[in-house]
Amino acid sequence: MSRGRILVPAEMTGRELARRRAALGLLTALPLTFYASSAHHSNHALVTGEIAMAFSIAGASIFAALTARPVDERLVLAGYRPRELLLGRLALLELFGLGVAALFSAVMVFGTGPSDWWALVAGVVLVALTSVPFGLAVGALAPHELEGVLMLILVVGIQLSLESTQTIAKLLPFWGPQRLLEHSIDPTVAVGAAVPVDLGYALALLVASAYIMRRRAPIPSQPPLTQVDREHPTASA
Amino acid sequence: MSSGAASNRAGATSVGGSCRALDGDELLAASGIGKRFGRKLVLEDAALSAKSGEAVAIVGENGAGKSTLLRICAGLVRPDCGTVSARGRIGYCPQEPGLFDLLNADEHLALFAPALGLSRADGVREGRRLLKELAFPVGDSTQARRLSGGARQKLNLALALLGDVRILMLDEPFQGFDHGAYVSFWEHVARWRAEGLAVVIITHLLADTTLVDRLVELSIPQQDRTEGERR
Repeated sequence: MSRGRILVPAEMTGRELARRRAALGLLTALPLTFYASSAHHSNHALVTGEIAMAFSIAGASIFAALTARPVDERLVLAGYRPRELLLGRLALLELFGLGVAALFSAVMVFGTGPSDWWALVAGVVLVALTSVPFGLAVGALAPHELEGVLMLILVVGIQLSLESTQTIAKLLPFWGPQRLLEHSIDPTVAVGAAVPVDLGYALALLVASAYIMRRRAPIPSQPPLTQVDREHPTASA
Repeated sequence: MSSGAASNRAGATSVGGSCRALDGDELLAASGIGKRFGRKLVLEDAALSAKSGEAVAIVGENGAGKSTLLRICAGLVRPDCGTVSARGRIGYCPQEPGLFDLLNADEHLALFAPALGLSRADGVREGRRLLKELAFPVGDSTQARRLSGGARQKLNLALALLGDVRILMLDEPFQGFDHGAYVSFWEHVARWRAEGLAVVIITHLLADTTLVDRLVELSIPQQDRTEGERR
């Protein structure tokens, strides 16, 4: 797996994203607006902002995955491995997500004044790290944009409506950051294994995306500039 | 021109089986291909083959499974039964241009280059040469979404040709072409054949069938037609 085969897809994802100026503005404004609208209630504002950030970054990832799908099959046929395309996209979107996280961390640290601002920053960064694999997995799974957006609203909406102590909340992808953000305001809230659980969740989502992408590419990638004999005795009826 | 390698017969049921070995200059051989999408039977016992230097046209009514057969042969769709053997790199040009709307032609070429084992500079140079041959405005930085239908299709075709292609699969590649581009396209087909490529083209135009070596005619599988009439 050469570096160029990951960096070039990353670069092109970046060029596409950079040209969606209106979408970029909205993706940045969305978490800030959500946070500002509930900033009078510090604890709730942090979680609302976190969830809006998840909407924003996961939404961008879903659309990146869905927009690329018709081209991906040609790229795989040309010789890319599905995981190279996925990793390229992941790298660029994480960069974007961490940029949003940096901006949003600064706003929330100054706006809320948490007692443990490291926990707040860690929570926001964790949202960014988890949102991209989550969005890519939904983008790989959803047949169209509408289904993808509804899946996003379903998962993230449920997370928003639940207390972090509830069992179902612990099964959702943004439970770890939720605990960290609550801990940043109230140090009595135990963080426990929130960080490793969430990173494990993100890794599992990434593996799921790679699996789905690979399933969609039924033939092995052709090695570059070599002639290959391909035979696929197919599944029996 | 010889014609008639008609396939897609009704009634036969072919399951799995071993791959047929490719004959001397044969680059593609598919046989016993069956495919359903849900309850709809799209292909039944379909076959397709192409030799080096041969142009084959796939014809048939709407819904006969032409695009599906081509996608199966390209390896993009998994058939329910049947075998496909191919020798050499496949260049596939889909009916709907698979392009990134917000990227321009050079960026598409740069994106495809690493997949083909080409450096960025070589990929763009080779792609520009192909685009120039197809009378595409080379060096134009217009994003794909703002290109005309014909220009999008030329970029689509150039991407299929990029790299060391031996088998060229074209799904109605001239949609959006003006008359000049259409005539030029067939001149290119003649050249690709002379270079030893196997060219498989889906077409609806009867005039095109005189320009190829062989026809493969598909018809809607009998079972599906009967079910359609019953409904």
